[in-house]
Amino acid sequence: MVAMSDWVELNIGPHHPSTHGVLRLKARVEGEMVREVEPVIGYLHRNAEKLCENTFFCDNIIYFDRMDYVGAPGMEVGYLEAAEKLLGVFPPERAVWIRTIMAELSRIASHLIWLAAFGLELGMLTPFFYCFDLRESILTIFVEASGSRLLTNYCSIGGVYQDFNEKITDEVEKFVQDAPKKVEEINSLFIKNDIFISRNKGIGVLDKNVAIEYGVTGHMLRASGVEYDVRKAEPYLAYSKVNFEIPTSTKGDNLARYLVRIEEIRQSIKIISQSIKKLPEGPFFNPKAKKSMMIRLRGDGEVYARTESSKGEFGVYIVGDGGVKPYRVRVRSPSLRNLSVMRELGRNVMIADLVSILGTTDLVFGEIDR
Amino acid sequence: MMEFQPGEERGKDGRRIIKVRKEDLVSTLSKLKSEGYIHLSLITGVDRKDFIEVVYHLHSFERNEYISVKTVTYNSEVPSVTSLWKSADWEEREEYDLVGIRFIGHPNLKRLFLPENWVGHPLRKDYDLKNVQYINVDEEGEDYATFDPGDGW
Amino acid sequence: MKTGDPGILTTTLEKALEWGRSNSLWPLTFGLACCAIEMMAIQASKVDISRFGSEIFRNSPRQSDLMIVSGTVTKKMAPRVKRLYDEMPYPKYVIAMGVCVIQGGPYVEGYSVVLGVDRVIPVDVYVPGCPPTPEALTYGLMTLQKKIRGEATR
Repeated sequence: MVAMSDWVELNIGPHHPSTHGVLRLKARVEGEMVREVEPVIGYLHRNAEKLCENTFFCDNIIYFDRMDYVGAPGMEVGYLEAAEKLLGVFPPERAVWIRTIMAELSRIASHLIWLAAFGLELGMLTPFFYCFDLRESILTIFVEASGSRLLTNYCSIGGVYQDFNEKITDEVEKFVQDAPKKVEEINSLFIKNDIFISRNKGIGVLDKNVAIEYGVTGHMLRASGVEYDVRKAEPYLAYSKVNFEIPTSTKGDNLARYLVRIEEIRQSIKIISQSIKKLPEGPFFNPKAKKSMMIRLRGDGEVYARTESSKGEFGVYIVGDGGVKPYRVRVRSPSLRNLSVMRELGRNVMIADLVSILGTTDLVFGEIDR
Repeated sequence: MMEFQPGEERGKDGRRIIKVRKEDLVSTLSKLKSEGYIHLSLITGVDRKDFIEVVYHLHSFERNEYISVKTVTYNSEVPSVTSLWKSADWEEREEYDLVGIRFIGHPNLKRLFLPENWVGHPLRKDYDLKNVQYINVDEEGEDYATFDPGDGW
Repeated sequence: MKTGDPGILTTTLEKALEWGRSNSLWPLTFGLACCAIEMMAIQASKVDISRFGSEIFRNSPRQSDLMIVSGTVTKKMAPRVKRLYDEMPYPKYVIAMGVCVIQGGPYVEGYSVVLGVDRVIPVDVYVPGCPPTPEALTYGLMTLQKKIRGEATR
């Protein structure tokens, strides 16, 4: 055993291709082994929580879009769950189903970005093209619905920005038909690769109790054996009316996390295919929240709402003081907790394994630093 | 201004809110933890101008239930709960950074996002946004905040 | 026609250099925020940036000559952006992608966002949008190529 003073401090980031953006890791290494890891964050701290206090309830959605930018409609849903309870304006039935479809599409889009980036980190270039190809078909739906590819700003207080027309529903149906085959294709690129398996099997094992202690949620918690998904635990939107399963695993390693996520994509496709069939007719906007009147909505009291974003439990806590702007907005970022457990996972692993462990945590820095 | 009364009430969405004095905070939370509320979801500091409200959101996997625990502090000091949950470590650092609550007993109470010598806590209501600060890097790679733009800017 | 005039030779060499330079711009993989996802999308199959000679995204600033600043530059990141720019060899070019990079975007009223990356490093081409579509970024790249070749850009 070498004394602690002989450990070399290795600085990874903030600009490093395998840190998913702007993460800095202070690793203390002994040879090839990482002994300690201390993440340094805040390189994308964009003061969204402060800006939310100075903006109308209806306009705050844009800051939530830019939090988890790979799955923006999922974030909008998370904010609106809280804001609509606070303001007492609820969306009509059709809007609820449309939001469900959009949230699930964004979950798939986010998972595909993660798969592409994860492949790149492990040195696999091919899955990148397959993932982005499938993702483009989701973005086509987003463009048709909202006019924007990435940051949709589609859901608004009391409904959605515009109705799903026939063209969009056709696109969604086409996606539901094509996607399962393509997902299996992408999956086979990973799972049939020996190097991928050997770099992930048994690496980065996260114990169930440690995960709970660190507040880890999402795929990391489910891969460690806790069946916790907000969509089932406290159904919001239309999730109580569709059939789907929560994939879990007891292994807790990188491979388990990967398999859980692939299964999540399959389940999301299942939810979308049910939702598009059940999509009811009717208005898509609550007349109480007319666009010209929306900035006059006042909120009092406090609401904490949680949703299952693509990364885990996304919570929004809004405190209102009776004004047209929120008094305090606090966001529970799932990625922040998933990152904080790196201090445990990054103990006594190889430097190359650190990259693959970091890859499976799926970090998005817009949401961590806000 | 209403006087803070310990007790229990229902929130707008029907959830239990337990109000405690900050001296009883750690004992209340550890009691709740032993009752099954093992998942600390969120710690929030709300600046109410005269005092700061600290809200803890706990979740129980078995009962599938949420609960919030609320306390107030007049001198920005609250006992730390890092001994109960490890996730409280970064959450308390974040609230120290942005709201300026000093968590007594925290092992490493440093700012999480902003550099150590940043003046003021941005989520306080009296934070002056017009007072622009800049960040530079010293020779050892550590950040420091300045009011003077310096060479890099 | 060979006239033996050295002036003509110099101009053509420069033209050849500019032509070569403009069609082999190697960008730095420098994703900061939301726009980075769209920057990844221009590498992918629908909008293929390799048609313009920029297919190789280098991870090291020393091997790249184009920096696409994609995403909000915060005050904490700004010294690092400058340092990465300083590490790039000449000739080097910068594309500012997205409104956050151009002037602060939706975060303009905040306390921790740099109001335009041109306060830190010089910028050649601005591509507005939040985020710009891959097509817009491709147009920005083509504009930069025209600029390198000394052609009129508007």
